[in-house]
Amino acid sequence: MSATSASTANPRPLDLASTPQVPLTRLAKVEYRKALDTRAGRWFIAAILLLVVAVEVIYAFAAGDDQKNFQDFLQVPGAVLGYFLPIIAIMLVTSEASQRNGLVTFTLEPRRSRVVLAKFLAGLGLAVSVMVLGLVLAVLGTLFGIVTGGSPSWSLDTGIVVNAIVLANVIGVFVGFALAMLIMNTPAAIVGYFVYSFILPTAVGILRALSDGFDKIAPWIEFNTAQTPLISGDFSPTGEQWAQIATSGFIWLIVPLAIGIWRLLRIEFK
Amino acid sequence: MITVESLTRRYGAFTAVDDVSFVCQPGRVTGFLGPNGAGKTTTMRVMVGLTQPTSGRVTIGGHRYADIPNPGRHVGVLLDASAQHAGRTGREILTIGAETMGLPKSRVDEMLRMVSLDDREAKRRLKNYSLGMKQRLGIAHALLGDPSVLILDEPANGLDPAGIRWMRGLLKDYADRGGTVLLSSHLLHEVEQIADEMILIGRGRIVASGTKEQLLAGTETKAAHVTALDNDLLAKALQAKGVTVAAAGTGLRAECAPVEVGRVAAEQAIVLTDLRSAGGGLEDLFLSLTEDTQREAPAQTPSAPATAEGTAR
Repeated sequence: MSATSASTANPRPLDLASTPQVPLTRLAKVEYRKALDTRAGRWFIAAILLLVVAVEVIYAFAAGDDQKNFQDFLQVPGAVLGYFLPIIAIMLVTSEASQRNGLVTFTLEPRRSRVVLAKFLAGLGLAVSVMVLGLVLAVLGTLFGIVTGGSPSWSLDTGIVVNAIVLANVIGVFVGFALAMLIMNTPAAIVGYFVYSFILPTAVGILRALSDGFDKIAPWIEFNTAQTPLISGDFSPTGEQWAQIATSGFIWLIVPLAIGIWRLLRIEFK
Repeated sequence: MITVESLTRRYGAFTAVDDVSFVCQPGRVTGFLGPNGAGKTTTMRVMVGLTQPTSGRVTIGGHRYADIPNPGRHVGVLLDASAQHAGRTGREILTIGAETMGLPKSRVDEMLRMVSLDDREAKRRLKNYSLGMKQRLGIAHALLGDPSVLILDEPANGLDPAGIRWMRGLLKDYADRGGTVLLSSHLLHEVEQIADEMILIGRGRIVASGTKEQLLAGTETKAAHVTALDNDLLAKALQAKGVTVAAAGTGLRAECAPVEVGRVAAEQAIVLTDLRSAGGGLEDLFLSLTEDTQREAPAQTPSAPATAEGTAR
């Protein structure tokens, strides 16, 4: 074959001491930036926030005056973000394959698990940023509610903040990550997410109405159904409901996330 | 330096890279030459850890790529200039790279200047870039971290003649300063002018390697194209020596080594205006070595590379 003398050649080692590993925080900062530096990313987030504003204004006019408390206005961004934050997570992951910049991302950091972690951190960071903006918009909505005749109470249930807003949205973001890593294609993952979050619970709802037996087991095996107590009622699931969240979450979040990560670590970015 | 040791990569029954070994030395430009689908890209992808080898290994400066912390500071990589988010501006793409590697923002401006992308172009989105501009940006990205090793897959693809000359100078300079350069191409002339050392690959296997002189040693040219002030006189003189001569273009094609033609011309005091060996020398070698790996039937090969070359220039 070729005139190779690999073993005898002078290895001329690279001096690695001069370059420490890229810190995880820096990778996460870069991923955060990557979510916002394209028109698609920026406008998507702007659109979510505009939607929140629109719904707050409509709510201020439509709701009864006794339902114009801060907590009521806070549920608006909570619900809107719940549907759209996972898509931010999806785009954060799938663009590496569909826009093919994964070639560069995973060349600059070949330890892929660190890129995955960085994306999780960036996704959480984005979710928190958008939630804080949602909170600000809820305050403005409540003030606007005063204009339209409300005399709001500013008190907040910890349940709504911790469970309905933070926990439910964080779960949503990770469902997005799991789907994105499993499917690795932007439109397909978004469709997959809407099937999971709209069609699946509707189908389960119909089956529950038809069968008593299924009605009992549904919250144990269907994640959306199990999360209902998180985002409605008094926002405080009972012990049994927490157990349902845990079991259905294992099926619909932990398992897909684990398979998704496994896949991302091995996939050949072309 | 890059060391490839018995590298094999199979995809099911298909062997993309078959027991490939070679070394790229620092201070030299190594050309990696082969027809499309010969395994060049797969080999380069394994080098930077994007593809796992079936067997064998690659080390860069004695390390596996995946073991190099902040590898962008040591190894500059350009595998596909289009493999970037189409919605990002050129400047943003470099900024992301610089931020990942921990480089100052000023480095981005330096690199943009080096590859002659002006402010307006740097603000354009990648989808509005021509292939040549993408290549320039890709080269800027590869050089961002001031690496000591460069791995470039078809970097001249899409560059105009001035761009190719610029890149040639850039890479020569880089190697003269002690850098290791590996660049691939399917166009012989591109590599011939720039590479100190050449690795020829066909259907996943290395078919030849060495310097241009080493590769040509052993292959003798048996035909020459010649033009003289008096072609008829030269033709007669050559025929008198038993050389078969035929008219070709404005001159003659003589079935002998160019040196023989020169000798005859000198003896007969015939003024030559042009003399060169017929057949590209290296090109013939390249085609014959990769013949069984070519997609085109051998009979068609003379025209196929000529057009490919024509469009690339």
